[in-house]
Amino acid sequence: MEQIASANLFLALGALLVLGGILSSLLASRFGTPLLLVFLIIGMLAGEDGIGGIAFDNYQATYLIGSCALAIILFDGGLRTRLSTVQDALAPSIVLASFGVAITAGVVGVFCSYMFGLNWVEGLLLGAIVASTDAAAVFFLLKTGGLQLKPRIGAMLEIESGSNDPVAVFFTLVLTELALANGGMPGWQVAESLLRQAVLGGGMGLAVGMLLVFLLNRLNLLSGLHPLFVIAAAIALFGFTALLDGSGFLAVYVAGLVVGNRQVRAFPSIVNFHDTATWLCQIVMFLVLGLLVTPSTLMEYLVPGLVVAVFLILVGRPIAIYLCLRLFGFTFKEMLFTSWVGLRGAVSIFLAAIPTLAGVNGAELYFNVAFFVVMISLVVQGWTIAPAARLLGMALKRPAAATSRVEIDLPGQSSKELVGYPIANDSFVALRPSALPTWLKPVLVVREGEVKNAAEITGGLRVGDYAYFLVPTERVHRLDRVFAPLPPDAANAAKRLVFGEFPIAADAMIDELGAFYDLSVPPDIAGLSVADAFAARFGAKVRPGVRLDLGGFASITARDVADGVVTRARLRFDEVVDVGSLRNTAAIEATTRPARAARSLRRLIGRDI
Amino acid sequence: MDLSDLLQVEAVLPHLKANSKKQALQEMAAKAAAITDRPEREIFDTLLQREKLGSTGVGHGVAIPHGKLVALDRLVGVFARLDRAVDFDALDDEPVDLMFLLLAPENAGADHLKALARIARVLREPAIASKLRAANDAAAIYALLTQPIASNAA
Repeated sequence: MEQIASANLFLALGALLVLGGILSSLLASRFGTPLLLVFLIIGMLAGEDGIGGIAFDNYQATYLIGSCALAIILFDGGLRTRLSTVQDALAPSIVLASFGVAITAGVVGVFCSYMFGLNWVEGLLLGAIVASTDAAAVFFLLKTGGLQLKPRIGAMLEIESGSNDPVAVFFTLVLTELALANGGMPGWQVAESLLRQAVLGGGMGLAVGMLLVFLLNRLNLLSGLHPLFVIAAAIALFGFTALLDGSGFLAVYVAGLVVGNRQVRAFPSIVNFHDTATWLCQIVMFLVLGLLVTPSTLMEYLVPGLVVAVFLILVGRPIAIYLCLRLFGFTFKEMLFTSWVGLRGAVSIFLAAIPTLAGVNGAELYFNVAFFVVMISLVVQGWTIAPAARLLGMALKRPAAATSRVEIDLPGQSSKELVGYPIANDSFVALRPSALPTWLKPVLVVREGEVKNAAEITGGLRVGDYAYFLVPTERVHRLDRVFAPLPPDAANAAKRLVFGEFPIAADAMIDELGAFYDLSVPPDIAGLSVADAFAARFGAKVRPGVRLDLGGFASITARDVADGVVTRARLRFDEVVDVGSLRNTAAIEATTRPARAARSLRRLIGRDI
Repeated sequence: MDLSDLLQVEAVLPHLKANSKKQALQEMAAKAAAITDRPEREIFDTLLQREKLGSTGVGHGVAIPHGKLVALDRLVGVFARLDRAVDFDALDDEPVDLMFLLLAPENAGADHLKALARIARVLREPAIASKLRAANDAAAIYALLTQPIASNAA
């Protein structure tokens, strides 16, 4: 009876903690506090020194829960990474995830050895524990901060954080072994182990990912079972790979990448389920880690923790970023921002539990220092990511507005999906129905409570309709911006845009065009032909649709491009408002302001559709 | 801006016969010369100079040749409907049968562009274009071009 009662108590308390975590999200979003920190603090409050008084020091259970949660989070990270959109970020992020971690661990490790009088293995172990940026923290803070980064930077940070955990885990495990063996492990053994972890992890991930795709598309599972099947497979993959001395974390991440980038049946429900599962994992992982730490002991490590955190943030990571990224032509500001988003998270605390579990001497140091580093990183960096992004010009000025999209998985096939959108006032679809992509055709529309098929909709879509479209799966995520309400200035521009497009010869001189229409020609393209001006501005990236602005209200758009050279272009007068005379300054204002709005509208809508 | 500000009924050529883009431009330049009292040659050269930068055929059978004349004191338009469409190297490669010639004074600046946009807006309206093609005479064409159109009809 007593055991039943204690099981019930455990359930009640555990669920209460999770509930507390969920409710605290309201508080956190109001104050902009990093939510993960709140989970951690709730765990600490519930722990032995807090009001909860729960004495929890089970490192074994922590490792079990932590691994499982991390496996799911990493799999989810892979699932959401679309390789086609991150191609130019792939190489730098892989370098960051491998060499970056090694450099960070090395620099911080050497510093710690001197600082705390540790031998070099112990110092490096501490370095490795805090070396990886945390996928959970980075994904979470980038997604929930209402922040949209420049695509290349955002993708790089996400891939880096998703793929550097396996590297840090590996270093930590090897260094823990070395610390236990007192340096008695030959170098070649270390190298062999590294290779085995990486190859086995990557290989198993790839194989199981492919197998998962095959099975999902082949087996007729009950509809609710698809996500469960996937998550169970991911955890099994993690366990087996780790048993074989491969990197389980790398394996689940790669498997997630494979599944996320192939056409898979029931993909929407899998992703939705993972949304929830990932949340639960974050909450549980941080709560447990918060429970595990003993705040009274923690305070003894206040000074060393602070010192390591400051060194890591201001010296260690910036050095690693600089060494890794200067090869890829990033600007100074981009490198600065990247090094600032070196958020540490649960992984570091989780890794710090490994030396304790393995019985390394003085393991308390690692755990408590790592805990401090994570807290400080979450507070200082987590809180300042959004302002830093704006300050350094990394944030997109106009993030895509939220829409209420409904995705319906079509049983039996995976290349097309049915998506439903409300036709909102001031959305692109309502303002400029004729400019919609041709592949976007409504299959049925709910209008005034009645369901109409495509043939019954006369006069196109109307505001207030609820329209369903059959869309190629890979294009679904591009649709939101078509249906989201536009910001007021862009909406006004869309309402008033006047056409006025003339074909322009590629060998026409920019200066002549400028003189002909009294346009001011930007100095960097003055004296060039149209084709050369495009080449000067865009180099190898020139493609149909790229645009040169001339003065306030005119622009030239590339129309045909052959072998990287513009062969035909069109001249467009953005917006010419009837304002009587231009001699009066108010009129000039009125003419140029909508022009700016029109340009931002095109930036928002134009080339991605 | 209204097209009646720059177009007179005398400047409408309802049945222009031309075998080529160049000939059509020449005929219209002659008409413009009669209205503006400027040499035909000067007008024609100005138009050709603009065509060298790129065709003024904006698509759907419409062209808007235009240019600037130093001694002009106002915007001047000439409209022509061609009996047989001529190749114009237009945006959509369709032959052109509706032409609106616009001459602007030097330093017309934004007025020039406003007039162009206004002309484009009127002529790109499919309903107006088809009525223009069906109209009987210059007076009917003039009425169609200068009628107030519902703004933002698109």
